[in-house]
Amino acid sequence: MKIICLVKFTPDIENFIYDYEKNVLVRENTRMVINPDDACALALALKYKSKHPETVVEVVTMAPLSILPHVQDLIRRDVDSAAVISDKLYVGSDTYVTSKILAKYLMNQTFDLILTGTHAIDGDTSHVPSQIGERLDIDQLSNIIRVDEQLLSLTSATVDVDAEHSISTYEIELPAILSLQKESKYKLPYVKYVDIEKDVSDRIQIIDNAMLGFDQSEVGIDGSLTKVSRTYVKKMSKNDRVIVKNDEAGIETVYAFLKEKGFV
Amino acid sequence: MTNEKLLKLLSEMLEDNQINTSEEELYDAAADRYKKYAKARKVLDVPSPVAIVYPKNTEEVSKLLKFCNENQVNVIPRGGKTATEGGLENWKAMTIVIDALHLDKILKIDPYNMQATTEAGVELQRLEDELRKIGYTTGHSPQSKPVAKMGGLVATRSIGQFSTLYGGIEDLVVGLECVFPDGHISRIKNVSRRAGGPDIRHIAIGNEGSLCYITEVTVKIFKFYPENHKFYGYLIKDIETGIKVLREVMVGGYRPSVARTYSEEDARQHFYHFYKGKCVLIFMAEGNKNLVEATCKGIEEAAEEFKDGILEYVDSKLIEEWFNNLNWSQQDIDDEFAGMLENDSHSGFTTEISADWETIPKIYHNAINRIRDEFPRAHELTMLGGHSSHSYINGTNMYFVYNYEINCAPEDELRIYHHPLQTIIVEETLKLGGSMCHHHGIGKYRNEWTKEEHGTAFYMLEKLKEAFDPNGIMNFGTIFPQEEGLKYQK
Repeated sequence: MKIICLVKFTPDIENFIYDYEKNVLVRENTRMVINPDDACALALALKYKSKHPETVVEVVTMAPLSILPHVQDLIRRDVDSAAVISDKLYVGSDTYVTSKILAKYLMNQTFDLILTGTHAIDGDTSHVPSQIGERLDIDQLSNIIRVDEQLLSLTSATVDVDAEHSISTYEIELPAILSLQKESKYKLPYVKYVDIEKDVSDRIQIIDNAMLGFDQSEVGIDGSLTKVSRTYVKKMSKNDRVIVKNDEAGIETVYAFLKEKGFV
Repeated sequence: MTNEKLLKLLSEMLEDNQINTSEEELYDAAADRYKKYAKARKVLDVPSPVAIVYPKNTEEVSKLLKFCNENQVNVIPRGGKTATEGGLENWKAMTIVIDALHLDKILKIDPYNMQATTEAGVELQRLEDELRKIGYTTGHSPQSKPVAKMGGLVATRSIGQFSTLYGGIEDLVVGLECVFPDGHISRIKNVSRRAGGPDIRHIAIGNEGSLCYITEVTVKIFKFYPENHKFYGYLIKDIETGIKVLREVMVGGYRPSVARTYSEEDARQHFYHFYKGKCVLIFMAEGNKNLVEATCKGIEEAAEEFKDGILEYVDSKLIEEWFNNLNWSQQDIDDEFAGMLENDSHSGFTTEISADWETIPKIYHNAINRIRDEFPRAHELTMLGGHSSHSYINGTNMYFVYNYEINCAPEDELRIYHHPLQTIIVEETLKLGGSMCHHHGIGKYRNEWTKEEHGTAFYMLEKLKEAFDPNGIMNFGTIFPQEEGLKYQK
């Protein structure tokens, strides 16, 4: 089975420092990380590969070349190859154009299954997977929290989908695009100590516009029809800190808090 | 020799219930708390010993050591299993662990001569409890007190939290009994002082099981006056201020039982309820009333001397409460173990070094800065700081404390995180003439620097090993570097 994993690298916003006085995110020294939902998708592919060694896993990402060390890090986790779609013409592409670019690359690839994330932590529109599915004329399903590995075959997959108040199980014909949520909790394997410095450059292909052949007007800011009317930084409030003693009153306070929050 | 043959020969020397071959317990005996995470995740890369044996007396220890010496069987002496530096880790296939489980008698408590004698396997807590019943204390209180045993404490040059008053274990040991690989039993008598040549107690104290097996120890005891305990706490400008106040107290000749200063980061994990983002300085005075009064005066005068760096006084009750909950029990160790099974985390690591007063702040800052600049996974550190907790007239220690998100396979954790961090701290310490280990011992993972630690005096250490353990059967790899062990280190 050939699995292509679409991944995105995003700023590590979960570990941002927030300046509560100025109400802004402190962006200095921000690290890039693999988008958590995408990481789960790739983790599932690698888990499947570990049990079915004939499986081939390819990572596809559209990103500036500065993320190459992160892609190398993924290869060292037993990904077979990676395609990094990168061209200065693509800078500023909206989700529609991004989908167009990714789909054009994927049209010329062979695959049995595409795995990706549902949400991106730096955008959250969730447009891209479904738009790619449309362009490739294959089915796409979001909010997946489990893929039944026993039932996964070249022709179909059985998946559990988080439908907010219930979990629905679907069988879907392959090839298709399955978008996972981080709640699936598939966990990326670690790079082994002996592989930390391993040269994997020969397994990464850089795909630029010379290979995809878009006209300048079709991509980047020129090709993006999305108009952003306003952006804002989500306001965050600092939680009050309550320190209690390890005594009856303290235990009661903690219990009341957990109860209020619905944990007990 | 095959394992079966070894077990057969052991069974000719001991009763069946003195030989443990439980697979689970042999796995546990293969490593100590240095590899706690890998051990919990069942990915240890070192061999399990062939057996754990439990001698009942010194003669049986002697017989076992002689047998191992003649048959090239590696021996790991074991007490309370609280080692943190790999001292109990096994690097040889043909190994037995000699556990002090049955050497468990308190032999004599002698309040008139102010000393107590125990066998090696007596828990420090048990001795302390017995002494408290009659108003005395050992004065020795490492965090591992509820679990650690007397033989192990002496073998690793342990230190307690009240060492600034009572001294380290080397100041407390009056005499001892130990057994060498050839089976010879040496007894060092209990006297108040001696000038009969070099002080041979120190061949056994701190040998970490690499020269001999300690079977019995006699330690000093002290009168205990809990009603006189006094506590002091201060929020201070920086760690330098803390070190200056500590020095002032010490060079003034005062001996508080506790004298500590914490960096902001370390203070956060100990004193989160009052530290307010600042460094912390604490003292405890104990002993007879007159002594406590004088010590308190000395502490107050020193704090006054450096008042520009003191930001706030802390309620002494908060310090007292903290002390009363400082030790970790077997339950704490078990809880950490259970946590490591479920989460990619543990309670962190430490590296403890020492140096003179003027050097210690330099080592602290050099090491911290180098870690932040050079450690490739500095962004994964969740805690990096330190404290000084044991002071002397000429200097103090620094206890570097760090923790991190573990983003690697459990078997790689030490190579990726702890060892590179420890390497930076040790290198910066040795560069400025400090000692790379203040009280945890060398174990197996700091042995690469043993020669540098001792310099030209390593000659003396090497000769001791050659003389007492010519066949190299005592705790292979501990203190003394071994090429065969490199595969576990690098």
